[in-house]
Amino acid sequence: MPTPVSIARQCLTDEAARALDDAVGVARRRSHAQTTSLHAISALLAFPSSTLRDACARARSSAYSPRLQFRALELSVGVSLDRLPSSKALEEPPVSNSLMAAIKRSQASQRRHPENFHLQQQNQTASFLRVELKHFILSILDDPIVSRVFGEAGFRSCDIKIAMIQPPLSPVSRFPRTRCPPIFLCNLTDSDPARRTFSFPFAGVSGSGDGDENSRRIGEVLTRKTGKNPLLIGVCSSDALRCFADCVERRKGDVLPAEIAGLNLICIEKEISEFVGRGGSEDKLGLKLKELGHMAEQYSGPGIAVNFGELKALVGDDAPGEAASFVVSKLTSLLKAHPNLWLMGSSGSYETYLKFLTQFPSIEEDWDLHLLPITSSRSSVEGFCSRSSLMGSFVPFAGFFSTPTDFKNPLNSTNQSITLCHLCNEKCEQEVSAILKGGSTISLADRYSGTLPSWLLMAEPDTNKGADAVKAKDDGRALNDKVLGVQKKWYDICQRLHHAPPYPKSIFQPVPQVSGAECYGFIPDRRETSSKDSSPSESGSANLSPSTTMNLQKISPSKIQIPLPVVSESESVNFQSKLAGSVSKSKQVETRSSPWFSPCPLPNLSLAPDRTSSSCITSVTTDLGLGTLYASNSQETKRLNLQGHKERMNYFSGSVSAEFDVVSVNNSSQIGQSPSCSVPDLGGQMDARDFKSLWRALASKVGWQDEAICAISQTVSSCRTGNARRHGSNLKGDIWLSFLGPDKVGKKRIAAALAEIMFRSSKSLVSVDLGYQHGSNQSNSIFDQHELNSCGIEFRGKTITDYIAGELRKKPQLVVFLENIDKADLLVQTSLSQAIRTGKFPDSHGREISINHMIFVTTATSKKGNRNLVSGKEPVEFSEERILGAKSWQMKILIGCVTGEASRSNGMNVLVTPREGTSNPKSTSKRKFIDTGSFAEQDKYLEMSKRACKASNSYLDLNLPVEELEEDVDSANCDSDSLSESSEAWLEEFLDQMDEKVTFKPFNFDAVAQKLLKEISLNFQKIIGSDIQLEIDSEVMVQILAAAWLSEKGGAVDDWVEQVLSKSFTEARQRYRLTAQSLVKLVPCEGLSVEEQAPGVCLPARIILN
Amino acid sequence: MGNTLLEALNVRVVGNGERVLVLAHGFGTDQSAWQRILPYFLPHFRIILYDLVCAGSVNPDYFDFRRYTTLDAFVDDLLNILDALGVDRCAYVGHSVSAMIGILASIRRPELFTKLVLIGASPRFLNDHDYHGGFEEGEIEKVFSAMEANYDAWVHGFAPLSVGADVPAAVREFSRTLFNMRPDITLFVSRTIFNSDLRGVLGLVKVPCCIIQTAKDVSVPTSVALYLKNHLGGRNTVEMLNVEGHLPHLSAPMLLAPVLRRALSR
Repeated sequence: MPTPVSIARQCLTDEAARALDDAVGVARRRSHAQTTSLHAISALLAFPSSTLRDACARARSSAYSPRLQFRALELSVGVSLDRLPSSKALEEPPVSNSLMAAIKRSQASQRRHPENFHLQQQNQTASFLRVELKHFILSILDDPIVSRVFGEAGFRSCDIKIAMIQPPLSPVSRFPRTRCPPIFLCNLTDSDPARRTFSFPFAGVSGSGDGDENSRRIGEVLTRKTGKNPLLIGVCSSDALRCFADCVERRKGDVLPAEIAGLNLICIEKEISEFVGRGGSEDKLGLKLKELGHMAEQYSGPGIAVNFGELKALVGDDAPGEAASFVVSKLTSLLKAHPNLWLMGSSGSYETYLKFLTQFPSIEEDWDLHLLPITSSRSSVEGFCSRSSLMGSFVPFAGFFSTPTDFKNPLNSTNQSITLCHLCNEKCEQEVSAILKGGSTISLADRYSGTLPSWLLMAEPDTNKGADAVKAKDDGRALNDKVLGVQKKWYDICQRLHHAPPYPKSIFQPVPQVSGAECYGFIPDRRETSSKDSSPSESGSANLSPSTTMNLQKISPSKIQIPLPVVSESESVNFQSKLAGSVSKSKQVETRSSPWFSPCPLPNLSLAPDRTSSSCITSVTTDLGLGTLYASNSQETKRLNLQGHKERMNYFSGSVSAEFDVVSVNNSSQIGQSPSCSVPDLGGQMDARDFKSLWRALASKVGWQDEAICAISQTVSSCRTGNARRHGSNLKGDIWLSFLGPDKVGKKRIAAALAEIMFRSSKSLVSVDLGYQHGSNQSNSIFDQHELNSCGIEFRGKTITDYIAGELRKKPQLVVFLENIDKADLLVQTSLSQAIRTGKFPDSHGREISINHMIFVTTATSKKGNRNLVSGKEPVEFSEERILGAKSWQMKILIGCVTGEASRSNGMNVLVTPREGTSNPKSTSKRKFIDTGSFAEQDKYLEMSKRACKASNSYLDLNLPVEELEEDVDSANCDSDSLSESSEAWLEEFLDQMDEKVTFKPFNFDAVAQKLLKEISLNFQKIIGSDIQLEIDSEVMVQILAAAWLSEKGGAVDDWVEQVLSKSFTEARQRYRLTAQSLVKLVPCEGLSVEEQAPGVCLPARIILN
Repeated sequence: MGNTLLEALNVRVVGNGERVLVLAHGFGTDQSAWQRILPYFLPHFRIILYDLVCAGSVNPDYFDFRRYTTLDAFVDDLLNILDALGVDRCAYVGHSVSAMIGILASIRRPELFTKLVLIGASPRFLNDHDYHGGFEEGEIEKVFSAMEANYDAWVHGFAPLSVGADVPAAVREFSRTLFNMRPDITLFVSRTIFNSDLRGVLGLVKVPCCIIQTAKDVSVPTSVALYLKNHLGGRNTVEMLNVEGHLPHLSAPMLLAPVLRRALSR
């Protein structure tokens, strides 16, 4: 249904509405039933000073005179309008669907447009946005009919769009650009001089051939005193030699240096190959050589060069040794006898020459050879000069660039290069297809223009495309350019709008990304509810001193500069548009449309526990740096739903990224676990200076590090209460902590908790693993999913120093968590040293950022003196290193038979298989980890080289020459020594300046393992029976333990055992006949990563039964 | 000659170390590409930076289309610079085309170089019957035509592909330097590069080489790194960087710097 003009006008600013009126006028004059985009274009072009005309003038192809091209444009618009069916005249022909759609599109794009963002805030009372003329035109240009019309006149609508977006005086390049020829005028292309914007001088050069570098070089060698006989080496060497021979023959003046001008070149290649290859007589060759000798004696010019050709003839497999040595000895004596005789030849590869050299070790002196590397030949240059006939290919840059599918689906895999974000990509694809369609329509239009109405033509191109292939081919190149232009345009737009192409979610920042806003959104709400009903949390809310709350609220406006968009659909939505007030599609979420703050409302906080799951499931995540949103897929939401049931206090849940999960689970689990504690925890937030509340809050996060937590709390609270510490004359507000020892997860979690407690937002945590470069991550590590391994990809393109500085600049309060401080590189060391000394962190350009309210937490796994403490203990079954290697595989249950004596230990019928293939895994792995400090497995190659290095320390590899080996080891050793020495000294000094050094205890995996095994055994016996054995693969055990370590809630893994594992046992019992001889095995499916995670714990939600 | 050359090619000598290190940029960049790597080496090396004659920062008039038809002319430039600066021993880090230049230079003057570090190097870009260089001749022709037809579009397509589109800052940087080159020079030099074939001469290199290869490089397949290792005449090592992109010094300086350091310390 067409839209009445008055309604369409409402959506437009006055200026744009005037343009629409003009378009309506055009439609009326032509008695058309509807006002379409074409009418609008016609109207917009009517005025000589219009924006569109101006943009066209700038985007114009330089190949044609402006007058001509505008005339062409007017013509093609006119023709297109003529094709529209006319009807009875209407006073106001209504706005066509396509034009209305364009208006809607421009509304949307205007919202997305960051420049207009503030504008909306000012008049956001208006329920919708009035489209400005610029955006109106831009989206009209998207219309395929319009771009076709422009295309016919030699314009590319994408160029025009770019011209409209860009201010007039910003030439993209210093160089004139060539453009595709207008299709409308395509027969003029060849005669157009302007097309050859830059000439390629080399075409002339290589054509005449006198600039041949190789020949010049050969000539240079010939003039040398020693080593005057060139042996050309390289794939193209024989070409080069032939080329040189040609030049000499034709007596080109400047190829040969003046001294040897007039050189006589004689080729004996044929004779040699005949003699050696076919066993010709010695006499014949001898004669030839003798002749040469005579010639040399009698020759009056500078001399004679003997070209013996390709060296392969002498060393080839079919060349008998004696024949070759005959030739060589003859040539040698000839050379000795005649000083004015040169020898030259070529060798395709160095290897051939080496072979030759082994046969005739003294040949280099005997022949006085000079090896001349030849890397290119003239003949191939000429080949390159010929114009390619492949210009018409439909696929631009095929092969060199990734294939078009790569371009269009950049998110196929995370490894692929990402060009566009989802949204832009989609649009780009649409436009490309539109253009392709449009492209083929042009030819059709030309052909049928008289007979068919144009809308019919539009509908048909696909069917006629094949028949029209020839024509299409002609247009192919232009289309290519168009397609490319579109892709480029969207790339530009994507870059501008979304700052950067978004990263796949797996490489988001390692920081748990809960926006600060939700905390604020939460706290006032919380207060509200607790004052209303007498929930168990009331006692706690008494702790909330009004002043603090006020304070909080005071803070919040200044803090919440990050708009928090609310989304719950599983599509990427540009967040500006969300904020503009478009209501999210979610049923539950209501957006409080304040221009820059849209908190997540938590309406059902006081609802009965069992009702929570159905409502208030909001998925919120922001990506600060990128500004693009990803919402969860339904699967995850479901999972969280489930969880919500369980946790009973589901005030907030849902997310895309796993880390967010962690936080939400964490929050709710706390409340769920200990209802009485929930508010004191909140109270902890209120008064972070209080040692006790800090300690309690931290202890609730990490239960197993009592002493460390005690020390941390003490330090932080004493620092905060202003035990005046000074940087020179300034009061020091920054806190420096160092976490030493094992327990990576505990350290990280404490840092995160500190951020949350001290700065009331887990967003205030920036974590950087300084050791990441020393080893890349294992694929599919369980820790990846928890973002506990920061993989360093977010640092791409910048140094760590600048990354940290950037983060510090963004927020006034931050916990900076630096893992593996002992691996800090020189720049980071310098910056950190200065920061701890002066309270200002310098970036790599020397700009300083105050770190006054920051907390710096650095970690190191081992420290001198502490090492004994860690490794001196009796060997453990599950070491932290082993757990850190855990992968997130799917699990499956296999049924086997008991073979031989199965030992039953400690009354359980569950046993864990020993680790495969290693008798003493700990010693090697420990060494590795202490040496490199890396948690993840080494990169394949790195590891290989390292292992080789290490191995050579202990034994000699007999396959390697000894000297080389030792040299290698020595240099490697001294390198690492000097490196580590200087950085150790730095570390010591640096750590001495810390406010506190806290040593962590190792996490007792063995105890957890014992407990879990007992639990599993209990379940197993209950379901399957006590006479059947269960064998758990050690990899699985490692995975379970890692999950237990990572899970924030104490009993998460127990729950998993009870629900997931037990269910699988039950299934197994039902499906198989299990006898006493049966052996139930729980093994990992290596290579198959977990599809669906169980709620609250990173273990599979389902176990495959096989 | 020396001074004008040093001036023309914007030769800079920085750093406080004893040992001399040459950082040579690759195709499409200029010496600014080393910006992010430089700080790591300033305290330890005397670093020589220069621009290839084809770089956008060099006056295009210096580019002699008759002279720079093979890489040898570029090698001449490098050796002339080193001679003019009186360098008699240096380590050399070369990226892409400069890696090739380094190889050739070390063949000509083996005594001058203590070590070559080759980043994203390839002796031959075109495929051969038993060699995988990554490109078919037809493809190259298409690229050249595309380059000729619309340099702007080509740059915008090529830059993100080459650098890895996930590092917008580096892409911008590469686009900038690529754009600074005059299109005809770009085309000419890339023809020269694709026309070169160093495979036959690799064995002549006696200087130890370290080949640094990224895990995914649109221009250089991984097999090429191994080919180089096996065919270069000196003692060679291959370092794999677990990142994407042909320009790790732009896109992953953090990762590259330690590897470079390690390579140079040996």
